Amino acid sequence: MSRGGANRSGPARAALGIAGLLLFLCAWQAIGYYRLAGLSWPPLTDVIALLADPERWPLLGRALSATLAAMTAGYLLGIVLGLGAAVGAHMFPIAHPGTDRLAAVVNSIPSIALGPVFIVFLSRESTAAAIAAAHAAFIIYVAASSGLAAASRGHRDLLVVLGASRLSRLRHLDLPASLPSLSTGLKLAVPAALIGTIIGEWFGAPRGLGVLIVNAMQNFQIALLWSVVVLIASTSLALYSALSLLERACYARFA
Amino acid sequence: MNAIGRTAVAVLRNGWGILLLIIVWQAWVTAMNFNAIVMPRPLGVLQDLIGFPEVYWKNAVYTIGAAVIGLVLGMALGTGLAILAWLSDVLEGMLTPLTVLFSSVPVVTIIPIVARLLGYDFSTVLAIVVIICFFPAFVFTTSGLKALPAGADDLFRVLGARTPARLLRLALPAAVPNWSVALRVAAGHAVLGAMIAEYLMGTAGLGYLFAETKSDFNMERAFGATAVAMVVSILFFAAALAVERRVKERWN
Repeated sequence: MSRGGANRSGPARAALGIAGLLLFLCAWQAIGYYRLAGLSWPPLTDVIALLADPERWPLLGRALSATLAAMTAGYLLGIVLGLGAAVGAHMFPIAHPGTDRLAAVVNSIPSIALGPVFIVFLSRESTAAAIAAAHAAFIIYVAASSGLAAASRGHRDLLVVLGASRLSRLRHLDLPASLPSLSTGLKLAVPAALIGTIIGEWFGAPRGLGVLIVNAMQNFQIALLWSVVVLIASTSLALYSALSLLERACYARFA
Repeated sequence: MNAIGRTAVAVLRNGWGILLLIIVWQAWVTAMNFNAIVMPRPLGVLQDLIGFPEVYWKNAVYTIGAAVIGLVLGMALGTGLAILAWLSDVLEGMLTPLTVLFSSVPVVTIIPIVARLLGYDFSTVLAIVVIICFFPAFVFTTSGLKALPAGADDLFRVLGARTPARLLRLALPAAVPNWSVALRVAAGHAVLGAMIAEYLMGTAGLGYLFAETKSDFNMERAFGATAVAMVVSILFFAAALAVERRVKERWN
């Protein structure tokens, strides 16, 4: 009737969304069950059975906690570096163009090339966290830079006229004004940091989900391979959703 | 100030960070007296780049090919599906939650699965780039098709425009700015995604060159491959950014 960009009511949309998800899961199961994509595509039920098997939990749990620990360390370091660079460039405008270029170039370094560098300068254990930090730092830097420039000209002029110092302008105006943009950056940096951690683990970390993926791929443990990927995807989704809530709260309060 | 002086100041303003990075690298390697097997010097990398251009050139063409074809296919697929979703709100309702779900999933982690399904060759590299480019194309085009000027859709309906006309003359033009943002996002990721896939299982390309030379301890060439990949990636990004700027000028 009203085709083309029409909007349905909430419950109808939710029902459609669930239908789409179910259809996807059924297709996954059917392709795996009838071997339509060969032996490398397991039925959904095999993956669920593996993930639900308590005997596998110690293995998966150890790998997951190692990955999460490296990711958290990298993520926090990325926030410090990204935010620090953005505030620095904001306080010293002459350094701003150069900082932008440096950030863009560092971001265009292929993460697989960062691995060997970090192994030389740091250690095998901390390479995963270091790559995660590099990924997160760029996103935080971009988000924080645009956020710090978000305060209105009127507000800024008012603070200058009232004799506020650069530092107190930062504290009372620019930092609070940057929070919505920064919260979006914090959200987007989560999957990026997770990717960085996994890639870092491919360079010979002792344990972690990335190590498990490569081992499963090489030993043809197909159900394990898919289970680990499902585990990573769910972890990413859970953290991303949690930070979406934070983002929403920030926009409601500060934007 | 003369022209040369002005250029020098501009280069310094924009490039001080990058220059500093290279100088610190050179100084560090010299001071720590690292062997070139562990950590090459910037000058050594430059020498290898100038001395053996054909090695880099051959592999770069392979990677660029994968990135360009994958970018085109991924953008086409994402845009096409977004248009289908615009035409059918049943399809849109079913696809939207799925794409939100998938776009927060680290694509890199499915490289081993795709490699198992398609084989350890070019098709896997291509498939990864297509998947990486698909999501921004779909997400941005979907929202762009709805970013219509206020009242425009009502006007079209009142004047009796049919769905194809509304799509061609209203929704698609309205989606172009968003679409160009998707192109910029996808272009930056295309090269790096291709390189990671090549590193893990490729038979050619810059990622493969990097993996091969690294395991032979030819670090100068490994870093050279990295440098070439960075330049290619930045060029892709800059080209897409130029397209986006032109679109923004034209559409505002």
